[in-house]
Amino acid sequence: MVTSLFTELGLIDCVIFKHIGAHEFEVIYKADSWFDPLIQGVSAGHNIEIDNNFPFLLDFMQDAIPHWQAKAANVIDSGIWTETIQGHPLRLEAQAINNPPHSYLVVHRLKDKFEKKQQTLQLARELLLSNDQITARHEQLEKRMADLLNSSSAIHTLEQPIIQALEQAEIGVAVLDERLQMLKGNPALQALFSDTSVEIKQPIDRLLLELFKKQYPEYERIFATHSPWSGELCWLNPPEQGKWLKVSIYPIKDGLRHIKNWILSVSDVTQVKFLLKRNEKLSHYDVLTDLPNRQYFWQQLEDRALRGKPFFLLYLDIEKFKRVNELHGHATGDQVLIGLAKRLSSLTRMDDLIARIGGAEFAVVLGLDDLNTQHLHNEYNQCKAFIREVINACSLPFYLESGGRCEIQLNIGATSFPKDSKNIEELIKFADIAVSAAKNSPETHTAFYSQKLVEDALKRVQMENALQTAITDNEFELFFQPIINLSSGQVIKAEALIRWRKIDGALVSPTDFIPLAEQTGLIVPIGKWVINQACKQMKVLSEAGKIIKISVNLSPRQIADRQLFSFIKQSLNKHKVNPCQFEIELTEGVLIDDYDKVQHLLSELRTLGISVAIDDFGTGYSSLAYLQKLAIDHIKIDRSFVMSLTASNQGQDSDSAIVLAVIAMAKSLNVGVIAEGVETDYQKRFLQECNCPSAQGFLFSKPLPIEQFLRLPAQLP
Amino acid sequence: MIQKKICILGASGVGKTSLIKQYVEGIFSEKYLTSIGVKIDKKIIDSTAQPVQLMIWDIEGIDRYCGFQPKYVRGASGVIIVTDTTRSQSLVEGIEIFKLVKEVADIPCILALNKADLETSWHWSEKELSELKQDFVTCFDTSAKSGQGVEQMFTYMAQILTE
Repeated sequence: MVTSLFTELGLIDCVIFKHIGAHEFEVIYKADSWFDPLIQGVSAGHNIEIDNNFPFLLDFMQDAIPHWQAKAANVIDSGIWTETIQGHPLRLEAQAINNPPHSYLVVHRLKDKFEKKQQTLQLARELLLSNDQITARHEQLEKRMADLLNSSSAIHTLEQPIIQALEQAEIGVAVLDERLQMLKGNPALQALFSDTSVEIKQPIDRLLLELFKKQYPEYERIFATHSPWSGELCWLNPPEQGKWLKVSIYPIKDGLRHIKNWILSVSDVTQVKFLLKRNEKLSHYDVLTDLPNRQYFWQQLEDRALRGKPFFLLYLDIEKFKRVNELHGHATGDQVLIGLAKRLSSLTRMDDLIARIGGAEFAVVLGLDDLNTQHLHNEYNQCKAFIREVINACSLPFYLESGGRCEIQLNIGATSFPKDSKNIEELIKFADIAVSAAKNSPETHTAFYSQKLVEDALKRVQMENALQTAITDNEFELFFQPIINLSSGQVIKAEALIRWRKIDGALVSPTDFIPLAEQTGLIVPIGKWVINQACKQMKVLSEAGKIIKISVNLSPRQIADRQLFSFIKQSLNKHKVNPCQFEIELTEGVLIDDYDKVQHLLSELRTLGISVAIDDFGTGYSSLAYLQKLAIDHIKIDRSFVMSLTASNQGQDSDSAIVLAVIAMAKSLNVGVIAEGVETDYQKRFLQECNCPSAQGFLFSKPLPIEQFLRLPAQLP
Repeated sequence: MIQKKICILGASGVGKTSLIKQYVEGIFSEKYLTSIGVKIDKKIIDSTAQPVQLMIWDIEGIDRYCGFQPKYVRGASGVIIVTDTTRSQSLVEGIEIFKLVKEVADIPCILALNKADLETSWHWSEKELSELKQDFVTCFDTSAKSGQGVEQMFTYMAQILTE
């Protein structure tokens, strides 16, 4: 090798050693004298030994020697390290290279490369630290305020601990009432604009809400649906420099899910934005996923709209992403976001645009094939096909560096340009409404913007409000459906079922309001009402001589409520009823979702003497394992199997076989069986012949109000 | 004289380099300068049963720009995992790093709760902290600025490595 070749190859600022055995090397090229202080008197032709004086290089030998021995064609790098020469840092990087029959160790001096890398990483890490600190402060404050406000009984006045917490907060905070009127702002909020010479002519909370309304089309939906939000607002004040503010809006709800307060927290992030501006890439792209950020996306969207070519705007939201971070840590959450960005990028075409527009939110501008845009339904089919691809691709697990895996669910909302709107702001608002509707479509997780969607959302809000009123105005009633011993015809138990009688007397079916109650969390107060009312009616029944067990359904949301056990205990005590007469019904899904929690709850209930039944058995996981391990007393065969028992199939179909198998299995596990939905004499006879001990259904009685249930004979035909 | 390699690990910006600078040179700078790659400092400790030269590997902060590199822990006798008491996330990351270290090396790890000169503003409760500390041989409250706990921490490490 000759010096001119090294120069040609750009290898000039390096020292090259030929490997001659173990840790011994011959110096064959030395670009400059910078290496001299490291090994005295080194010049071409001399031999040296890499020893303890070069701990980093000595360590690199563990990778380099096997590489040389393998005569591999590739080059391996040591990574960057620093040596200090007379107080000055020397940035180095080594390479192990094979050029058979010889092996070489090349030590490069890094100057420009190191400086460039350090500048970029310095900036990126300063941003990362600032952002992390600001986000952590916001989250911590929201949690503290939520705890304090939830424990506070007064709605319109703030108690001392809350005021104290506000005064101490480093970030600006405003506590607003349910009508967005400020109850209290802290000194940091007032100090937000103290570094400008401009006189702010309105209260700061008003200014922030005004900026939010102007800059984010989501404004109305956030307050209408009582959702939390966080993002950045820009306050412009030409000719002076403006301000960037990171704002979080967080709803505080009471036990009945009514809005009690809103917390507005705000930090000045102008400095972070200033740092971003120093690097064009960082200012336009999200540092984690390398995708365009919200601001850049908005600019690009405007450009697309100006071109006038039809496209779909899609908003993608990762369901319960906060839980991924809580369960697996932020590093895992980051890996999932990077993985998702890669999957999305692989599905989009060159012409499409994809961006990360929020913590767990992505947006896609989906261009349409020219040939297919003649017909509207073709456009929709194209978009639907893309959405299917995205959902399929994202339903596969994300495998983590730690060896674990993580699964996510995407909700996707779509809106069409120019069909739905030609205005970008409106289009973003529609995509936001659509993704919000997609969250309430558990089967497809998808929604296209339409006027009907808006009307449905409105109806949902009205229904939610009506449900809240129903709780406070006592519009619910409890009905009882008897459960019969199939041998004797005796009423041995009754299932308590909720009914909602509106003020005009109309009954609303539970299938219409329970799913909404479950989604909104109202199921918790409604469930408490049911438990309390069931205990109250048990007392009435036993005083009337009907001493039977009453079973009550519990939903997944209720199981997650930490106060559930103590509430059941309190209700039983309050109405002085025997816990042995109380039974709870759970679906199979609840057992699987949160096995440990359920196991703990069931064993606590067992200590009181409360029995447990598994509802809708056969429709879920039907695992024998939990039947054996958990404290379960009865299983209820789902009505769908019972209803298929007809005289025409004479017990020959698969549903009959399932019924028979469940009865046999329950018997061997020493667990009781109740057949649900018995409506015909044939079904009753079939079950009797199969030795099914008990049943319920319209054949015996429909669910009845307490007065009618009291009149029901103790034995039914 | 015996030599022992110890690695200083943690998320970026927790003060790893500052701790070493304080320990080796007695210097502290308020300015944050991100480290790239590895820098090795040496210091002889003779207060232990037998003198030992610590080879202190200052390793670039582990974050989204730089992952954990098991090769740097190769041959290490101990690890100090540094966290920043003003940033809750730094402890989560520190624990993650601890788990990664344990996958490749069964060596003693010390937990450093750094920036003790500043008011603690992370959300970890004493109970949570004491549970997390259990996996470490010990834990030190340190301040690279005031020097609090720094000398003691490195000396402690040297002692357990020479016992």
